[in-house]
Amino acid sequence: MAITQEERLAPEGASLLKRKVIEKGDTMYKIVSKSVTEYHFTVPFNLNDEERVEVGQIFSIKDQGLTFLARVLNIEHSSNYDGHWDTTIKGTNFFDSDQIFNRVIAEPLGCINKSLEFKKSRTLPTKFAPVLRAEKQEFKFLSQVMGDIEIGHLRNGSRLVEEIPVALHSEAMDHHMGVFATTGMGKSNFMKVFAASCMRLAVRGESKFGLLIVDPHGEYLKGKGLIKGLTHLKKYRDGLACYSTSKQNASDPGVEELAIGIKDIEPSDVELYFDWSIAQKDALDVIPRIFNRDWLTEIQTPEGMAQLLKENVIEGTAGKISQRIKNLLSKNGYIDNIRTSIPNILANLQDGKVVLVDIPKMSDRSELFLLSILSRCILDTYKEEGKPERKNCLITIEEAQRVLGAGSNTARFESIAREGRKFGVGLCAITQQPKLIDKQLLSQFNTLVVMGLGDRNDRIQLEESAKQDLSSMDTEIQTLEKGEAVVSTLKIPFPVPARIHRYEDYLRCLDKEDKQESLIIRGGFKPFLD
Amino acid sequence: MKIIHLADSHLGFSSYSRLDEHGRNRIEEMVYSGFDQAVEKIIELRPDAVVHAGDVFHHVRPKIKPLVVFQRGLMRLMKEDIPVIIISGNHDAPKSFSSTSPFRLFEGLRGVHIAQRYQYERIEVDDHYFHCIPFCLEPQDYLTEFEKIERSGRDVLVMHGLVESLQNKKMRSVGEHELPDSFLKSDFDYIALGHFHGQAQISQNAWYSGSLEYFNFGEAQDEKGMLLVDLESGKAESIPVKPRYMIDHPAIDCSGMRSEEIAQCLLALCPEDEIRDEMVRITLKNLSRAAYRSIDQTRLNRLGASALYFKIRTEFADVEEHFERPVDRRTLHEEFSGYLTEESSRELMPARIKDEVVAYGSQIMKKAVLAKHKEALDAS
Repeated sequence: MAITQEERLAPEGASLLKRKVIEKGDTMYKIVSKSVTEYHFTVPFNLNDEERVEVGQIFSIKDQGLTFLARVLNIEHSSNYDGHWDTTIKGTNFFDSDQIFNRVIAEPLGCINKSLEFKKSRTLPTKFAPVLRAEKQEFKFLSQVMGDIEIGHLRNGSRLVEEIPVALHSEAMDHHMGVFATTGMGKSNFMKVFAASCMRLAVRGESKFGLLIVDPHGEYLKGKGLIKGLTHLKKYRDGLACYSTSKQNASDPGVEELAIGIKDIEPSDVELYFDWSIAQKDALDVIPRIFNRDWLTEIQTPEGMAQLLKENVIEGTAGKISQRIKNLLSKNGYIDNIRTSIPNILANLQDGKVVLVDIPKMSDRSELFLLSILSRCILDTYKEEGKPERKNCLITIEEAQRVLGAGSNTARFESIAREGRKFGVGLCAITQQPKLIDKQLLSQFNTLVVMGLGDRNDRIQLEESAKQDLSSMDTEIQTLEKGEAVVSTLKIPFPVPARIHRYEDYLRCLDKEDKQESLIIRGGFKPFLD
Repeated sequence: MKIIHLADSHLGFSSYSRLDEHGRNRIEEMVYSGFDQAVEKIIELRPDAVVHAGDVFHHVRPKIKPLVVFQRGLMRLMKEDIPVIIISGNHDAPKSFSSTSPFRLFEGLRGVHIAQRYQYERIEVDDHYFHCIPFCLEPQDYLTEFEKIERSGRDVLVMHGLVESLQNKKMRSVGEHELPDSFLKSDFDYIALGHFHGQAQISQNAWYSGSLEYFNFGEAQDEKGMLLVDLESGKAESIPVKPRYMIDHPAIDCSGMRSEEIAQCLLALCPEDEIRDEMVRITLKNLSRAAYRSIDQTRLNRLGASALYFKIRTEFADVEEHFERPVDRRTLHEEFSGYLTEESSRELMPARIKDEVVAYGSQIMKKAVLAKHKEALDAS
């Protein structure tokens, strides 16, 4: 792919998609030790910048019919000398340069056999077998195990392997996904790329799940300045359904003004919105028994109040509840007496579309309240028998530690994490602090996208609960740069280093693709009906 | 400013083959007289404008009578200086450019504005802008036309189609276009919708006025009439044009009932004077076939003689559920694609172009079927 003018002008590091292609390496190293679980090979101590070996790079070891793949875990200074040779002056020099080298410690990923099948390795390569930087040829098998939701390219160290896209599996999405990164590492960019791929699948009729994104920052819909939003993907716009609480954003004819029907709200949703005393909670529990679906309106009337008092709720408690409900309704203008967007949202999710709920400038509580109502409606709908062509659903939760943390009072999301899979509902938890997420819940996540975590405790938490072994990648995760990620998912045999597409570049790619797909579009022969 | 919002007059609709003394279809005549009554009611209410949100005529090529009735109504309103705004709906808009819209006959009349060109038109009446989006040929055209709207601060939107969120989707018909809820913007003073035959408020400012008449028993529970809307306050008031005349009685459980009991039951429901000129349907379930047969047939036949339409629906207790042979629901182009795929598997064409040829052939067939279908709709 050619580098565009814009990319050339972009300052160094600003572009997530720095296009570099692996050159054919001539340098050949040799395996010297050590075991089935750890390979060592030596490289010159003074390699130039181009040839320098990095942590995370993948090397291939050709040994007769087998090709072993190994990932660099560490690089050590080493030599054939004993003792303090490197601090002892010897003649005019400290050492003989041919006696010292760097020792590269690599972990085996597996081996590829003659029929290009990838297997875990149960043996080790012959001593002195040649070691080469892995090329696209060796990575080819990965293309076969990749899924349908493209998110980036394979990365080998800090180099990009453009020929091998990294793509997640739709089928794995009801097994939950976690996206972990500290601020500024490209979470939003990743989510937009992920959503764009889902929109593409939806328009092509290949989508297997609907994606719900509730965006409290108002950045996904139209972007900001040079940063593009999901509505900029005009070609696949039909795969996106937008709802917004902002009048300005909803002025777009393709964006619906978000309305939550007053009858869609249950006492358990309101429970999340305020801190309630035990007596007040008890009173809330009484509500479903004495009121019908329009309880929010009824409870504010004198008759409603009288009914509460009849149930032995003391006047002060009833008054407080009624007062808080008035506050709730006045602060959340999207609650509507007549209209509700929920059936439309559910229909679009079941159609496999991306549903974006844009709620800029909304308070933390209001956001959780809204997310809780939507999640409940989704889970209730999916628990019922649906049409056979109904698509699964993936609910995105930003700052997931708020609702999936140990000791959080939001059992609703925890129950989706635990049992949502049975009904085809998955969670996509996005967080900066995986250490705050309940370990048991974290272990339910089958797909992890890790994008740089500086905090050791965060990494330990992830490594301890991940389905694939991430412990050996600790150094790599710590040293990930902006836009780089390690993707671990069960359908791909080992955690894959990736560079996530820069959304703006991916938009251009998607816009160009398929243009020459069929005879009709190409004008090979003109349809007579036109 | 006060407006009258009505829709779905369906002039020219006829059904149930009951004729009057002149040999005219009674239902069809009733639709015409209902329209006349609506016009009289409008004149009595003296609104600042009348909005008809689509489906004035039942057919794309109406007969002379509905044209005359419509013209008569327009003339009455013109004489009273009441401006009229009309959009075409799915029933009265030609589905291809080869046909001419019946509304062309009414172009240039003073105070009569008709949007029927498959595109957005803005009509100014007093201090309000009426943004009209008539029936469009392709679903995506609605979005393109909607984008042309520029708000003035005093805006009314007029559209025809089924709003996405409307739960009651019984009315779905071929060639129908669904309107996304994203068009229901809260900054319009009022949104006048047509197509759905029941009177229904869709959002704070959006209403279906519903039709003036009952067209089938699925509508038996609907309120019928027009809406009188105050654009300043946004308040919409239901204006009935005639009393309810469709009665669909809840099913009567006849298990264990003898013929005499059934007959008594029917008689009690249908006093001759009470059902005069009404449309009545009675459902008898769990009915014994023998008991029903032994009811005096002449008595049965006399039962609904005074009604505009009378029907006894019978569900016999002894009939097992009727299993039909599974119907092949494939459309013509799907059938053709299947044929092409089958043919291509005989290796008569090179594998490298096979997919493209099959895709191309299927596309053409799809287009042809669609074109044919639109022609058929125009002809109806």
